[in-house]
Amino acid sequence: MVRIKVEKPKVHKSVALHIKAITTAFKEAISPGTITIHYPRERRKLPDNFRGLLQLDKEKCINCFRCAHICPANAIQMYQRENKYYPGIDYTKCILCHFCVDSCPTAALKPSKIHDVAFASLSTMVLPPEELAGEPEMWREDTVTVEYDFDGDLKMIKRKEVENLIVEVEKPKRPEFVAGAAFPENCIACRICVNSCPQNAITFKLQDLQTMVLEIDFEKCTGCMVCIRNCPTQTLLPFRREEVLKGGESDEQG
Amino acid sequence: MNKVDVKLWKIPIPEKPPECRFDWTKERPERVERCKYFGNLKAVVIDKGICSHCGTCYICPVRGIVVEDKPIDFPNWRKDCIDCGACIRVCPRYDYTPLNGLGEYIEAVAGKSKRFKGQDGAMVSEFMAGALEMGIIDVALFVARDEEFKPYVVHITDPDQLKDERITGTKYSFASVMPELHDSIKHVRAVGIIGTPCMISGLRKLQKVVPLYKQKVKLAIGLFCTENFYHWQLKEFLEGRGIDLRKAVKTDIKKGNFIVTYDTGEEFSIPVKEMEEIVPDGCKVCQDFSAVEADASVGSVGSKKGFSSVLIRSETAKEIFEYLKEKDYIEVGEVKIDVIKRLCDYKVKIHPYPKG
Repeated sequence: MVRIKVEKPKVHKSVALHIKAITTAFKEAISPGTITIHYPRERRKLPDNFRGLLQLDKEKCINCFRCAHICPANAIQMYQRENKYYPGIDYTKCILCHFCVDSCPTAALKPSKIHDVAFASLSTMVLPPEELAGEPEMWREDTVTVEYDFDGDLKMIKRKEVENLIVEVEKPKRPEFVAGAAFPENCIACRICVNSCPQNAITFKLQDLQTMVLEIDFEKCTGCMVCIRNCPTQTLLPFRREEVLKGGESDEQG
Repeated sequence: MNKVDVKLWKIPIPEKPPECRFDWTKERPERVERCKYFGNLKAVVIDKGICSHCGTCYICPVRGIVVEDKPIDFPNWRKDCIDCGACIRVCPRYDYTPLNGLGEYIEAVAGKSKRFKGQDGAMVSEFMAGALEMGIIDVALFVARDEEFKPYVVHITDPDQLKDERITGTKYSFASVMPELHDSIKHVRAVGIIGTPCMISGLRKLQKVVPLYKQKVKLAIGLFCTENFYHWQLKEFLEGRGIDLRKAVKTDIKKGNFIVTYDTGEEFSIPVKEMEEIVPDGCKVCQDFSAVEADASVGSVGSKKGFSSVLIRSETAKEIFEYLKEKDYIEVGEVKIDVIKRLCDYKVKIHPYPKG
């Protein structure tokens, strides 16, 4: 066994250290310099891209299933409501990655900065689309918003105001698509596209007993691509809306 | 191996983007029975006992048709069938005219693989490995087996995977190759399949009806076939004769005998004539021995021991064969075409259609 010899501190040095400690204690007693937040009454200002709980705008939702498909935690389930499907979130699984928000083509799923919601039980953590509409329920006691200033010394800036926790998202700029029949010869007349279209944009009628006419109403089509994903034989493909409609007009003129 | 270069050279350039249409018409097949289309298929094919269990009807867009180790069925079809008619459009037995004989072929040769160990010359494995290396196909659907010789389909993307002896070799039971093809057709670029003559007929009819399959199935290799069995029936039959398939490493039909080889080297031989009772009805009307419609047909008949006979029928198969020869992967031998011809005629004789 090796003993480590510790030198005895010299008297004047230890006295100096003690005095320094005592002065710091007095200083903190008179004007405290803490940087912690008194949480329920004060709230830290969160960045705009904070990933909190979600809310759903049913009016904007086009039933494209993209949020449910992209969810890495498999937390989103589609619920049937009046022949349409809307997402519901299981917060026991949700990892708050906001892939669903990023994937939503119409900004129907909105992010919020609310992260501190307690649920009464596990079963209440599974939210159907109705409960997703509007702000997530929470008890707010805060009156002060706190912001940290990281330039130079770390300082806290306190303001007597309440922050809006809902973030408005604009509809993302994406090319608009419509579904069109690229390879009608592949069609097996199964009408899965007709049945799956949430906008009822695809219709079929029987010309006579042996001939079926299928038609896509491109004005109703929102480009959600549900029919394209469901088609078993790759008959349908997405087309750029402006290109297709321009092409059609020039054909008519020619 | 300059695998990458060959692949780059083979990538097809799309000629022009597809035209967008918002309305299209589709012809629907005529009905024989006044019920949903699966009812027609049931009446014309399944109940008449001419279904070959090829599995092409698994195209069913609601996946209601069950292709398993029992006759084809659609439980509860009166309710769940969506009446699209896809099944009767692709069924090769719906308007059945039996194919027979040797069919057209460019070249008849015998070959033996130097790389793989298979049933005889492992030429099927060689063809698929060659096509994979040339970049003609991205994935090949092979049939592997479990301990009890029950077949299941595997996706092969690398020729090295074929060194597993459970993947090569014949199984003599219905495998779900076509169902697997239907399930994966949307996710592959180019695929090669191996099948019995009935599967190849089904594939060709499917390619006529749905051009997507013509675009994606680049290579179809047919196997010489006299009959195929349901796995459970074959297993029960062999158990009745005191043969345990779990100990077997190889099954084979040679000179009218069904031969099972154990891992100890022990061999059991049963005359095929005694197996008549378990031959499915669908096989009893089939006259196609040599897979007339395939790109290349492969079998053991007509060549020396350790070699496989190959009938090359299409330009693609010819190209692959030249590649295999050039790379010195195979040994080429001679084939006795009259022996194959004799078996073709024999199959026509024992399987008359229409049934007298």
